[in-house]
Amino acid sequence: MPTIDTDDILEQRRAYNESLAQAADKTRAVWFPIAIMAALLALPALQFVGNYNYLIHLVLFTASYVVMASGWNVLGGFTGYISLGHNVFFAVGGYFAGMAFARLEISTIILAPVAGLVAGALGYLIGLITLRVRGPSFIISSLALVMIFRIFFENWEFVGGAAGVALKANSLPVEWAKLPYYYAFIVMAAFAVWASYRIKHSKFGLGLRAISKDEIKSESAGINTRFYKVMAFAISAFFVGMAGAVWGEYLTYIRPNIFLIILVSVNMVLMCILGGKGTIAGPVIGSVLIVAFNEFFVATLGASEINILATGLIMMLCLMFFPLGIVGTLARHRKLPRILNWD
Amino acid sequence: MIMADMVQILVLGLALGGVYALMGSGLSLVFGVMRIVNLAHPSLVMVGAYIAYWAFRLGGVDPMITLPVALVILAATGVLLYKLVFEREARSAKYSEMTVLLTFALAMVVEGALGTAFTNTQRVTSPDYATDAFFIGSVFIPKGQLYSGIVSLTIISALALFLKYSAFGNAIRATTQNRDAAELLGVNVNLVGLVSFAIGIGLAGAAGALVSFVFSFFPAKHWEWIAILMSLVVLGGMGSILGTVLAAFILSVIAAYVGFFFGATWSTLTFFVALFVVLLVRPQGLFGEKPELA
Repeated sequence: MPTIDTDDILEQRRAYNESLAQAADKTRAVWFPIAIMAALLALPALQFVGNYNYLIHLVLFTASYVVMASGWNVLGGFTGYISLGHNVFFAVGGYFAGMAFARLEISTIILAPVAGLVAGALGYLIGLITLRVRGPSFIISSLALVMIFRIFFENWEFVGGAAGVALKANSLPVEWAKLPYYYAFIVMAAFAVWASYRIKHSKFGLGLRAISKDEIKSESAGINTRFYKVMAFAISAFFVGMAGAVWGEYLTYIRPNIFLIILVSVNMVLMCILGGKGTIAGPVIGSVLIVAFNEFFVATLGASEINILATGLIMMLCLMFFPLGIVGTLARHRKLPRILNWD
Repeated sequence: MIMADMVQILVLGLALGGVYALMGSGLSLVFGVMRIVNLAHPSLVMVGAYIAYWAFRLGGVDPMITLPVALVILAATGVLLYKLVFEREARSAKYSEMTVLLTFALAMVVEGALGTAFTNTQRVTSPDYATDAFFIGSVFIPKGQLYSGIVSLTIISALALFLKYSAFGNAIRATTQNRDAAELLGVNVNLVGLVSFAIGIGLAGAAGALVSFVFSFFPAKHWEWIAILMSLVVLGGMGSILGTVLAAFILSVIAAYVGFFFGATWSTLTFFVALFVVLLVRPQGLFGEKPELA
């Protein structure tokens, strides 16, 4: 009589799952994101043939939002906790690296991961407190957080109060001055997208998605929901803080009203909602579209007030008619192009 | 001398509390009936303030006279918003999160529209009582804040009487307590939702007329008010109007003392820190019974 070995069965199941994953991978257009990366890495070569500073700025700006929106997505998309106060971590990262740059002259690009960790640690602590409530109460607490940090930074003399601190511009010639920051943001954006893919497909990410579906059930299924939620908060704060670190040096100053304005945190949220919350490609598509919208409204209509109006209007329409976002809606109708299926 | 200072600060705190109470009660009503955390409420208060401002600036109309007009205009806006936006969300699975985000977006739309139309200059209406004061001994009571406090408490009392004694008010309270049971007993909950939403937004307009001479304002200021009003409704227990009014007085007095001892910058911080502490220590607030949001 043949004995059935449990190890054998597990091994067979693992092999079967792997073959399924490989089959899925064959339909995946991995070349597409790689091609985009290659194009973006080569883009600054345009500077040899003309002045493309504006284009480089736009790509850099978009990449910075890809980092932040992908980070926000870990908490808001996977876990289902909407935070309207993530610009707090943008500010913390920015101030940490900016002050280190101003005092010790350490490049913020080198410091960015450290600044991210600082923001992440703070996120962990804040998450321990605010993640005790959920739904609307959590959203309100995140808004209050912005107000508290704004008052705090505006009155902290060491970091220059409301006037902020001016940072030294780098000494590169003007056509190359943006490049270090450009590459830093491109690399960070690629890392953020890759990391959110890895998170989504890990056991941890599965737990987060379970929490967003039904927190009580996932708790009774043995998921340590509190730890999972707080870690998701910390991870999303890490990415946002990292983006903030380099942003200050790029602008050559740090000041409360570039970090702690509501538009920054709204943009993160809106990009994820427009692109598709909880998807990998969603935040990227959202960032590209929203940055393009913002540029259109500021550049052509010349008024930041209209920009706020338009951003709010887009957000309302999106919530009312496409709550799943572009990627989510297309995927539901099975019309998602293969090149955008990054999940 | 110190004693007189203490009394003076108490009076100023109470006077401000009256305005906050009216701003918060509309928010509380809408939350109680509709379960909508209306982040756009303060921006609609701003609309009321601009109506009062332009009536005063162009026609010399006293904000107290503009008040009912602002109330009606905003109530009509409320009906429109309800029909266009919120009615269709009623069956959404993530209703509460959805409506928070929607009202947040609406707040941006209103802010952007006001900013485009009227720029971000600080405005204030200045009827002669706004800068005048009564003196009782050495304690002064600013007339503007006293009048606005009286008007606000009158309106809130009228609302409370309406909710308590009219048939429709009873229907509103029944819906607040248990929507399904109310519907089962024949209450037209959709109409109740519409009317209370309109009343809530109308109260924002009325509060705006009062705010126009109590604070100086500009479109982007509503973000600060959001956090202040949220702290009131959260401390009061979301949905409890009495709780909101009490919270308004308690917190404004505390804020006034904080401002006196530590400087004006830190006085608004009182509201934000209170919001945090209440959410964490007692999420249902003073009078809330429903810990479902916790």
